[in-house]
Amino acid sequence: MTTRYASELWHHRDLTLSFAMRDIKARYKQTVFGVAWAVLQPLSLMLVFTMVFSRFVKISTDGIPYPIFVYSSLMFWTCFSMTISQGTLAIVANSMLVRKIYFPRETLLLSIALSAGLDVLIASLVFAGMLAYYHIALTITVLWVPVLFLLQTLFALGVICFTSALNTHFRDIGHGMPLALQLWMFVTPVAYPLTVVPQSLLPLYLLNPMASIMDGYRATILHGTAPNLTYLGFGAAVTLVLTVLGYLTFKHAERTFADVI
Amino acid sequence: MPDVAIGFDRISKRYRLRHGWYRSVRDELRSIPRRLFRGVPADDAFWALRDVSFEIERGDVVGLIGPNGAGKSTLLKILSRVTVPTSGTFTARGRLGALIEIGAGFHPDLTGRENVYLNGSIMGMRRREIEAKFDQIVEFAEVARFIDTPVKFYSSGMQVRLGFSVAAHTDPDILLIDEVMAVGDAAFQAKCLNRLSELKQQGKTIVLVSHNMANILQHSRKVLWLQGGVVRGYGDPDTIAEHYLASVREHAESAVARDEPGQASASPVVIETVSLSDPGGHRPKRFRHGDAVCVDVEYAVRAAVADPVVEVTIQDGHGYHLGGITSRFDSVKIDTSAPRGAVRLTLQPLLFVKGDYTINVHIRDAAIERYFDIKKAAAILIVDGPSIASRELSGHIVYPHHWETL
Repeated sequence: MTTRYASELWHHRDLTLSFAMRDIKARYKQTVFGVAWAVLQPLSLMLVFTMVFSRFVKISTDGIPYPIFVYSSLMFWTCFSMTISQGTLAIVANSMLVRKIYFPRETLLLSIALSAGLDVLIASLVFAGMLAYYHIALTITVLWVPVLFLLQTLFALGVICFTSALNTHFRDIGHGMPLALQLWMFVTPVAYPLTVVPQSLLPLYLLNPMASIMDGYRATILHGTAPNLTYLGFGAAVTLVLTVLGYLTFKHAERTFADVI
Repeated sequence: MPDVAIGFDRISKRYRLRHGWYRSVRDELRSIPRRLFRGVPADDAFWALRDVSFEIERGDVVGLIGPNGAGKSTLLKILSRVTVPTSGTFTARGRLGALIEIGAGFHPDLTGRENVYLNGSIMGMRRREIEAKFDQIVEFAEVARFIDTPVKFYSSGMQVRLGFSVAAHTDPDILLIDEVMAVGDAAFQAKCLNRLSELKQQGKTIVLVSHNMANILQHSRKVLWLQGGVVRGYGDPDTIAEHYLASVREHAESAVARDEPGQASASPVVIETVSLSDPGGHRPKRFRHGDAVCVDVEYAVRAAVADPVVEVTIQDGHGYHLGGITSRFDSVKIDTSAPRGAVRLTLQPLLFVKGDYTINVHIRDAAIERYFDIKKAAAILIVDGPSIASRELSGHIVYPHHWETL
C-alpha cells in the first residue's frame, strides 16, 4: 500500500512542482511589494517583539541582541505558520479540481510546504545582512539547519495531513487555525529562549516538536553549538509518529474528499 | 477471453443527504447520541448507484445515457477515481484521462503558457511530455497570440478551447468524455469531433456522456443506459436508444395523465383539453412524417378577456425547446364571449424525424404580462418515419429538400 502511494506520488512529482510554481507566482502577481512580502512579515513581527520584549519587558536572550535573536526564529516560524494555515485549507481551496480530477491529493500539501520553503530562502537574505551587522560569524554547526528545517517541514506536513482532511468535513478547523497558530507561537520558544521554561513543565513543553526545533536553530546559527540531541530526538520521534499516522489517515480520507467538499 | 479495460462489479454508491456539503462540529456532536442508538438513519442515505455491473473491452467506445439524476455523474466519478464506491469492485487497466469540465485547473492570474503546464501536469502529463506537445496544444486551441497573457483576460471561449486542447493531447488508454461536443464554436466543435475520431482509430477505450442522442449514436459502438442508479440496458446503440426513448415517452405520458384540469382556477381562461388528431378527425397513436397533425385546444372562459393568445410549443424527449407558434402570429382571434371555445393548430407537413415530442400549451394576454393557464406536456406527439439512427440524418427535422449533382 505505502509503496503504491510512493510510486504514485513519484509519478506526479512534476505536479507537485507545478502546484508550487502556481502558488508562488500567483502569490506575488499583481502586488506592489512582490517577493518583499516574504520578508515583511517576519521583519514587522521582529520590530514589535523587539519593542515589547527588549524595551518594555526585558527578556533574557543568552547574550544575543534581541532583534537577531527573534528574527532567527521568526523566519522559520512564519514559514511553519504559513504552511499550517494554507495547508489546512488546501483541499477545500482546490475543491474545483478535487471534485473533477484524480491526482494524489498530498501533492497539494507538499507544494505548499515547497513554496513556503522559498519564502524562508528570501527571508534569510535579510538575515545574512543582520549577521554581518551584529558581527556574528557562522560556524560549521550551521549545517544542522537543513536537517532541522527538514524535520520542521515533515512535522508541518504531518499536522496538515490531519487538519486539511478534517477541514473537508468541519470548516471549523480552518476558521480556528489562525487562533491556534497564535497560541502555538507563544508555547514555542520564538520570542523567548527555551531556558526560561521551568524544568517541571519541560516534558510537556517539549511534546511540541517545534520547541526543540526552534531551540536547535538558535543553538546552531547564533551560538555555534550543536542542538540539544535529547530534546531534538524526542521532537523527531513525535514528528515521525504523527506524520506517519497523518499520512495514512489522509490517504484513507482522500478517497471520499470529492463527496464531502 | 475478452480484454477488459474497465470492470464494474456490483458497484453501489451511497451519499448521505443530511450533510449536503458542509458539516459543522456542532451538528455532528448533536447527532452522535442519535447515531449511537439507531445507526445511520435510512432516510439519510441516498443510493446514487445500486449493484451496477458491466465490463468495457479495450478499444470499445461506450455511450452513457440516462435522464438527469440517473447516476451518470457518480458513475463517471468512480470511473475517473475521484471517489470510491461504497461497495463493489472497480477495475481499470491503463492510464485514465478525463475530459470532464475542462479548465477547472486554470489559475486566472497565470498566463496561458503557465496554465498549460499546470493543467497538463494535473492531467498526469510529465513536464517533458507537455514541452513536446506544447506547440500542438496551443495551435489546436487557437490562442497562440495570447499565450503569454494571463488567462483572466481570455474570453470564456478561449479558456474552454485551451482547457479542452490540453486534455485532448494527454495520451491516456482510457478516455472519459463528458459533454465536450458542446464546447466552442462550430469550427472548434468540428475539430473536437475529428480528434475524437482519431482517438477512436488509435484504439482508445472511450466512455462518452452526452445529452445529445445523435452524438451518442454516431460515435458509440455500445450504449449503457442508466436510470435510477441501476443499469437498464447495455449493448447495441440503436436497440438501447429505442428502449430508452420509449421509456422517456412513457414517463411523459404518465405526466400528462397526472396533470389535473383547471389548476389555474382563479384564471379567467383555462385550458380544458388538448388533443391530437389527423385532418380526417381520427386520433391515431402515431403520426407519419409528412402527414398533417391537428392540435385541438379546448378552453373554458370564466370572465371575458381582451385578445387572449394561445401558444403551442414543442419540445423533444429531453425537454429541449424546438419551436412555438402563437395564434396571434397568424392574427387568429380567440373568442371569449361564450363559456367554452376551441381552437385548432394544424401542422402540415410534419417535418419531425422519428421520435417523441412534447406539446405544451399556454394561454396568455397579448402583452405577455399575464399567463392565464399553462399546460406542460399537454400531449405527446409520436412521429414515425426517417430516423437519425440511420446516421444519414441528424437533429429533429427533415427540411423539404432535394439534392442534385452539378
